[in-house]
Amino acid sequence: MKKTLALVLVMAMCLALLSGCGGGKKSGGTLNIYTWAEMFDQDVLDGFEKETGITINYTNFDYDETMLEKLEASNGGEYDLVIADDYIIETVIAEGLAQKLDRSKLSNWGNINPIYQGQFYDPTDEYTVPYGAGVQTIAYDPAVVSVPVRGYADLWDASFRDSIAITANYRVMIGMALKVLGYSYNTNDLAQIEEAGELFYKLADNIRLIKDDNVQDDLISGEVSAAVMYTSQVTMAKLTKPELEVVYPTEGIGFGIMGMFIPSQAPNADAALQFINYILQPEISAKSFEYLGYYCTTKAADDLIAEEYREFLVLPEEFRADDMEMIGNISPEAAAKQEEIWIEFRNRCGQ
Amino acid sequence: MQRERRGENAAFLAPMYIFTVIFLIGPFVYMLVLSFLTRAETWGVVNSFTLRNYERILEPLYFNTFVESVKLAVLVTALVALFGYPFGYFMAKLPPKRRGLMLMLVMIPFYTSSLMRLYGWIIVLRANGLLDKLLMALHITSEPLKILYTYPAVAVGMVYALLPFMMLSVYSSVEKMDWALVEAARDMGASPAGAFLTVTLPLTMPGLMTGVILTFVPSMGLFFVADILGGNKIVLVGSLIQEQLMKVHDQPFAAALSVIMMLMMTVMIWLYRRVTGSGEMEGML
Repeated sequence: MKKTLALVLVMAMCLALLSGCGGGKKSGGTLNIYTWAEMFDQDVLDGFEKETGITINYTNFDYDETMLEKLEASNGGEYDLVIADDYIIETVIAEGLAQKLDRSKLSNWGNINPIYQGQFYDPTDEYTVPYGAGVQTIAYDPAVVSVPVRGYADLWDASFRDSIAITANYRVMIGMALKVLGYSYNTNDLAQIEEAGELFYKLADNIRLIKDDNVQDDLISGEVSAAVMYTSQVTMAKLTKPELEVVYPTEGIGFGIMGMFIPSQAPNADAALQFINYILQPEISAKSFEYLGYYCTTKAADDLIAEEYREFLVLPEEFRADDMEMIGNISPEAAAKQEEIWIEFRNRCGQ
Repeated sequence: MQRERRGENAAFLAPMYIFTVIFLIGPFVYMLVLSFLTRAETWGVVNSFTLRNYERILEPLYFNTFVESVKLAVLVTALVALFGYPFGYFMAKLPPKRRGLMLMLVMIPFYTSSLMRLYGWIIVLRANGLLDKLLMALHITSEPLKILYTYPAVAVGMVYALLPFMMLSVYSSVEKMDWALVEAARDMGASPAGAFLTVTLPLTMPGLMTGVILTFVPSMGLFFVADILGGNKIVLVGSLIQEQLMKVHDQPFAAALSVIMMLMMTVMIWLYRRVTGSGEMEGML
């Protein structure tokens, strides 16, 4: 009796498994998007479903590396469209996990802002379309800051003692010291990195907080008087507290770009192309970037972005491409050196 | 008959063994093996044997992290013992009805996520937060203190998170104690303090030591307290492991750090057994 019951149970489980597989294979009208949470306004996604009849299946990852691992495991299959950070896309392309875009199906290609194209991760733009760019800028509260802030170097000022918040992206943070010294973010010269490290340690006394999520809250609440943070956080901070000042550091800005690409074995690459083309429409792009809070990478959408957001989402007129430097992959030795500097820096902050 | 019984026993025990192998021994062996492998250049692990990961732990940078973690753990454990022992002691001496109420009050906060409770501390400690407002209203301070994102804030958060473990294990020890022994000591002329030190304390030592283990071991690894209340500025072994895994992607080094941390905990538990002479932890179940 018991055996029969067990057998029935096992069979039921097998059936459940099989039906599970069957469900996933029905990809005729499904677009599998794999990216971080909250990358698109729900209206934008709904609009695409309504226009094309394709169902969107949206899956999240927290870290770029999780995405890479998944793509490696599925050999570039399973997902139709991935949005991730520039540096990881370089690896994805190098490992052959992305496919070339069929530009004949992307009638809106010309809408992309060329400043974000031809970057290190995809020099000939064969694989990717940019979707949002971020810089790390300095935001400060002029009511409590007495020195004029024009660049990273001003953060070392003694008046900032114990009152600066920074994000936990050590490449960008050590990069500030590299920039102050006039070096590249991506230098592989260990002597330069060490010199920057020594300078960086001197910043420790001024650091009150290191945090990736919601740093803007501490700037708004007055816990810190200045913060080095991501574009989306600056946008949120300014919307809540308009009197904050935002500085584009004179030393130059480190850029990060998010890119859309189609994995090599995407089950429904055609739907992915349709989606990319849909997003590249000026109105849809404007709506998406207002929601996302990152720099608008669709040039044709710049003028459509609402006045209240434009200041944070559109590059200033006087912006020169030379001011920006992409933060790319560095040699393992250089990376290891920076990791060590980062831990030592945090130890010094805590003392 | 006998054989049948044994067979039945094995059938009942099998799930437990399978569980142990899959979820305890398996991951541990995996971690141990991983800790001797080499990190790949970009991502992942290369199958070549190395002792480098363990050598790196001896570098001052990482070794100091261990030292700092132990220091914080000792501080937290001492504070928890200082507050938790009397609490557990007096709770056990309450009349049963009120004892039940106290137990419930200690347990109820556990129904909320510990992360949630930490965010509560942010509201108390932040600039112009509850504590600042109180101190300024009482004219003790004139401007906001900077308490949040400091070492004391981390210590407070850890003590708060771990205090119940000490209270409950001391409580269970004191509750089981035979008070006639204390009375006997007093009859023989021991002072209250003398009776406490020579009778009560030794008899409740297993509870105290269990509390110490349950506080010391987690406080080495409660990195999220250091991250949230310390503003990521206090690097504990726990945060080092997390960072090596999630940011630096050096899985073998993270595994080596974890192995060393587990060894330290094993030593702690071995010491516990030596000190208390008991095989099991008091109040664990």
